[in-house]
Amino acid sequence: MNKVTSILLWVAVAVVGALAFAALALGRGESVNAAWLVTAALAVYFIAYRFYSKYIAEQVLRLDDTRPTPAVRHNDGMDYVPTNKWVLYGHHFAAIAGAGPLVGPVLAAQMGFLPGTMWILAGVVVAGAVQDFIVLFASVRRDGKSLGEMIKMELGSAAGSLALVGVLAIMIIILAVLSLIVVKALTGSPWGLFTIAATIPIALAMGIYMRVIRPGRVGEASVFGVILLLASILYGRNVAADAVLGPLFTLSGTQLAWALIIYGGIAASLPVWLMLAPRDYLSTFLKIGTVAALAVGIYVVAPPLAMPQTTRFIDGTGPVFSGSLFPFLFITIACGSVSGFHSLISSGTTPKMVEKESHMRFIGFGGMLAESFVAIMALSAACVLDPGIYFAMNAPAAAIGTTAANAAQVISGWGFTITPELIEQTARDIGESSILSRAGGAPTLAVGMAQILAKALGGKSMEAFWYHFAILFEALFILTAVDAGTRVGRFMIQDMLGHLYKPLGDTQFLPANVLATLLCVGAWGYFLYQGVVDPLGGINTLWQLFGVGNQMLAGIALLLCTSMLVKMKRERYVWVTLVPTTWLLITTLTAGIEKIFHTDPKIGFVALANRFSAAAAQGTVLAPAKSIAEMQRVAFNNYLDAVVCGLFVALVLAMCWYTIKICRQALRQAQPTAQEVPPLAPAQGAVA
Amino acid sequence: MNEPRTVAPAARAEAFDGSTGGAFIGRVRVQARAIRTGWLQIFGIPDYERYLEHRAAHHPDLPVLSRREFFAQAIDRKYCGSGPRCC
Repeated sequence: MNKVTSILLWVAVAVVGALAFAALALGRGESVNAAWLVTAALAVYFIAYRFYSKYIAEQVLRLDDTRPTPAVRHNDGMDYVPTNKWVLYGHHFAAIAGAGPLVGPVLAAQMGFLPGTMWILAGVVVAGAVQDFIVLFASVRRDGKSLGEMIKMELGSAAGSLALVGVLAIMIIILAVLSLIVVKALTGSPWGLFTIAATIPIALAMGIYMRVIRPGRVGEASVFGVILLLASILYGRNVAADAVLGPLFTLSGTQLAWALIIYGGIAASLPVWLMLAPRDYLSTFLKIGTVAALAVGIYVVAPPLAMPQTTRFIDGTGPVFSGSLFPFLFITIACGSVSGFHSLISSGTTPKMVEKESHMRFIGFGGMLAESFVAIMALSAACVLDPGIYFAMNAPAAAIGTTAANAAQVISGWGFTITPELIEQTARDIGESSILSRAGGAPTLAVGMAQILAKALGGKSMEAFWYHFAILFEALFILTAVDAGTRVGRFMIQDMLGHLYKPLGDTQFLPANVLATLLCVGAWGYFLYQGVVDPLGGINTLWQLFGVGNQMLAGIALLLCTSMLVKMKRERYVWVTLVPTTWLLITTLTAGIEKIFHTDPKIGFVALANRFSAAAAQGTVLAPAKSIAEMQRVAFNNYLDAVVCGLFVALVLAMCWYTIKICRQALRQAQPTAQEVPPLAPAQGAVA
Repeated sequence: MNEPRTVAPAARAEAFDGSTGGAFIGRVRVQARAIRTGWLQIFGIPDYERYLEHRAAHHPDLPVLSRREFFAQAIDRKYCGSGPRCC
């Protein structure tokens, strides 16, 4: 492009971005349109991509298209395939986008739309996109190796084993919290439960079709699958109204928790082609389709943001999660700004498909920008809702009670005026009996999406359909993650057990498989059950535990990137990874330590546990517990949470120590010591 | 991974019927194939036709997997190894 045109274009982007930010930040007293929020985000993404990612690609990493990628060297027409960069962008985005960017921003909306927006945008540019990009680069230069293997190669085998323990712990917590989101969304919701339950026979039928009836015809099976899914949403209304079926599909939280635990155990034991693969296809179709629809919907409808820029809850007294803006905002919003889990995807299938090194800038950095955009849309959808409705849906029953009248009174007392009639009307509009205390992000987002999509398409009468569509869309990929995650957890547990007693590590040995599956399901099931019966809401505790773990993993991945840059003798650029690493370590270590030791029982696990166990010892029952046994359980669970949190803190400190040691060694060397595949290496063990 | 063992001449022929016909139709077919391949890759769906083309181009003398076996193996590799999902 002509240089002058290019300069004019980027000045224009910068001006539009600045105007959008001015509208967001300066619009005092009047509501700001969500379209401004989305526009401001897009301007930031374009500028960051054009300038910062270019700098990283050319100066820091020095991507080199003459170096053959793993896809070129091992091209087997199956897993290692040089892939068109736009196609791989889509594939990578579909792999990294999950429930994370949808949940965190919705929870963080209790502080207003501005704090969440600022962290999503700053975090993605400085930390998230950098992490995804550099981990992808590291993996491509190391023949497509996984994060764990790379940590072993660059930081030593002890560090590698430690990182694997950390990954397993985070997996357990994330499976629990994802399941908890589903439980919160489906409790007492026969319509929702019916549509989710219907995905099981639909997926089984697709699996059999693709395997037995018409082998490999994924497209045909998917068309039937999607039609049946939509039919199940429509029919769900009749099920909910039915005198016999309605009560049958109305389950309590604990019943749903058990159902999910049993489901997880069985699903992870079935052959993958029967349920996991077909459901994964369905959820990917819905995921990409829904995200696109929401983006179009926000621009077409251009709804005003009802939530203020900031609320009084930045002081840490919020009902959705406790703790002040620093550090808790930075662990609540994980996936939209920086997510450690992405380092596992960026070192998974994507590096095996990269055609040229220069493509990694678009795929790694650009892919994460798209994920961040999803988070911005989720935040917008939550902030479009009447704040009274938002708090009614997200505050625990312990705070707002269980009736619309009580909730309206409490929430109006917080300064967000709402009437019981509006709460009840909102529930009726979406075809549910109650919207109170449906924490976890999914239902809030679903109501926001339903209101936006119904305005764009179908009007008020379609709101209930869109609500259940949104719930289905989230529950579908959460259940896929539960199934796939339980399998991965089982492999990791077997791998560890194999070191203790050899036969337990044999993946072909059925009793060992069963044992590892039970251990994995038992572990996340325990945390799930604890979350469901937790009178304070469960999400309150578990999401923050997940946030700490996930951000710690990001810290570990960025420590690896830092040590890699030092070993490549690029130490003058090391700030690119060192700045986000430092920020992540400051926020997560502060959050982790506060979660354990804070003297306010609303924040500190130990303080809450001590309070309950001391009262139990004296024979007093503290609300909301109802018996001494319940008191002791609350105390035990909080001690356990403190231990898990302490494990994350210890792990990341250990990784810091290894990184410093390795970096100091590398600094003394005159030559690069990073263990890359040499530029023109012949294919190793050329396959196919 | 298991070595390929099944010969499926019919399947192999099926993959190359695009080369017959006029030049224009041929071009359209190539384009359509590229779009199809792209969609399959985005959603992570195994692409049997691409596999057949790869084998024909690089290992024409070796047997290929049947469609059924190719899918069975591809799905096993995708889900049975490690490879955690995202949040």
